[in-house]
Amino acid sequence: MPKPNLSAHPTEVVKPYDFDHFWQEIMAEVDSIPLNAAIELDPLRSSEEVEVFEVKYDSLDGLRIAGWYCLPRERTKPLPARVFYPGYISEPTLPKSHAAQGYSTFGAAPRGKLRSNAAFNPGYPGLLTHNINDRDHYGYKGFYIDAVRVIDFLLEQPEVDSDRIGIQGSSQGGALTLVVSALRQQVRAASAGAPYLAGVVDAFKLTRTYPYEEINDYLGIQPEHSSAIANTWNYYDCFNFAERIQCPIIVYIGLQDDVCPPETAYPLMEKIGTSNKKLYEYEGHGHDANHHEHDHVVDAFFDDQLKPARS
Amino acid sequence: MKPKDFDQFWAGIESDLNSVVPEPELKELPIRSKPQFTVYGLWLSSVKGYRIFAYYSVPKGEGPFPVIYHLPNYGSVVHIPPFEERCKYICVALCHRGQRLSDEPFAAAYPGLLTLGIEAAESYIYREIAGDCLSVMEFLKSREEVDRRRICLLGGELALWTAARRSEAAALHYTPALHYNSLKRASQTSNYPLEEFNDHLRGSASSRLSVEKTLSYFEPVHHAPNVQMPTMLVEDSVGFCDALFEAFAGPVDRVPFQHSSYRDGVRQANWIADKLDNGQPILPAHWC
Repeated sequence: MPKPNLSAHPTEVVKPYDFDHFWQEIMAEVDSIPLNAAIELDPLRSSEEVEVFEVKYDSLDGLRIAGWYCLPRERTKPLPARVFYPGYISEPTLPKSHAAQGYSTFGAAPRGKLRSNAAFNPGYPGLLTHNINDRDHYGYKGFYIDAVRVIDFLLEQPEVDSDRIGIQGSSQGGALTLVVSALRQQVRAASAGAPYLAGVVDAFKLTRTYPYEEINDYLGIQPEHSSAIANTWNYYDCFNFAERIQCPIIVYIGLQDDVCPPETAYPLMEKIGTSNKKLYEYEGHGHDANHHEHDHVVDAFFDDQLKPARS
Repeated sequence: MKPKDFDQFWAGIESDLNSVVPEPELKELPIRSKPQFTVYGLWLSSVKGYRIFAYYSVPKGEGPFPVIYHLPNYGSVVHIPPFEERCKYICVALCHRGQRLSDEPFAAAYPGLLTLGIEAAESYIYREIAGDCLSVMEFLKSREEVDRRRICLLGGELALWTAARRSEAAALHYTPALHYNSLKRASQTSNYPLEEFNDHLRGSASSRLSVEKTLSYFEPVHHAPNVQMPTMLVEDSVGFCDALFEAFAGPVDRVPFQHSSYRDGVRQANWIADKLDNGQPILPAHWC
């Protein structure tokens, strides 16, 4: 049987008329919250080449959010920055090796991740459906904002060149990359692998694999919440953020991805606002999205866009 | 080098485990159950009486059923086993002590867990974690719905250690991970989690000999001679596992890691199906 045309899958995502207003209000609130950033050297994790700092900053709902911040010990001029956003179940990255290449690097740990889970800890499974019926209190609201605040942190750091900030991640990290590059125009380059949270109302019908399976689980016991879930997700779906993305961006997917269905990547690419965008499709790959080989493409992309001293 | 008291050390873990009454408790998780299977939360006591959690999924229908026992990877979160597997097999996914859902009173740090107590084998956290892995095997053997002749262990060193101590398992699908040739591999990278070993030694260079000794109790080459069941050994690169391959007592299918969750996943599913039921696996739609 011939394979279906992945790029022709229709989407049921709708952009609410008040999508922009919804996020404008949230961002106004966010911008009124001082970061109160604390930066503490971690001697155990630091090396001869790289200093590692544990960072804490304030975010929405009064939560204190953690992150790993790495700097090359040899630094004289302002550095380009790379932010690494985590996957759904993965631990936040401690990106020392990229700092050794001349970047300031940040491994984000949004709420619910270890070290950011004292006041918010819906668990895994759990995060995807936490308050999913309520767009104003949905778990991903604060989670997205925690990711945005990483950019605000970097913009406050004197060693960071604010015109050379790049962000990246795969799966949920890819989703956060899309959202943050839409909400913070200071982002100059972005790389999203196997993007999650794009076309959510389509995706959970295309796969039985977690995390999307959390929605199927939820609807299995509360089917009457189907439209409420769709309504909430219309305010959070990466599709609806995509047109705001103006920085150069690369996206890569595996065509046999059972976690984040590749069908959802094509409408996403159409919606991304910038013309400086490229999709890499990898036949024979699943949710790994061929990162083993593609990581070189990502590194070359950021070296070209952000020009670290040692590239 | 294999420690002289290697067998004694591992017998000590068994002894600690035997001194604990497991008191297993099963509670259905209706939100995770489906018409094809029932999913339970499983709690039981392991070494030092620590209560650990596992997902336990049983197909609907008449058993006994073959089992896939997922031993956890390195990280705080353990996924519920795949939907397709749960349709056909009993699936158990352990959250060892320190991982989420088994994190009371001890919540593991990442990074941090890999070197916790590493100055001595008796204090190394993986001694107790190994006990957690074995305790689930004892639970499985006590269950009527389990076909005890058809249990497949799946994972990294936690699966290998379990296989070496529980010869009744039918198959081992093993991908060498963090405790294989650890310090040599750590010396070639600055990426986590292996970098945790470098961090520890950088801060305490004088402890190198004691760290080496601790890790020797967990080194896969020393456990493989006790593994007699059919094994699939997934090798990171050519020659990566030469000595290890030779050390296994039983038959080994040695295959390269393909860096593709799709290709590696299909091969794994086919191999397990062959070993457990001579049948075809159920695969995710995007893999068919």
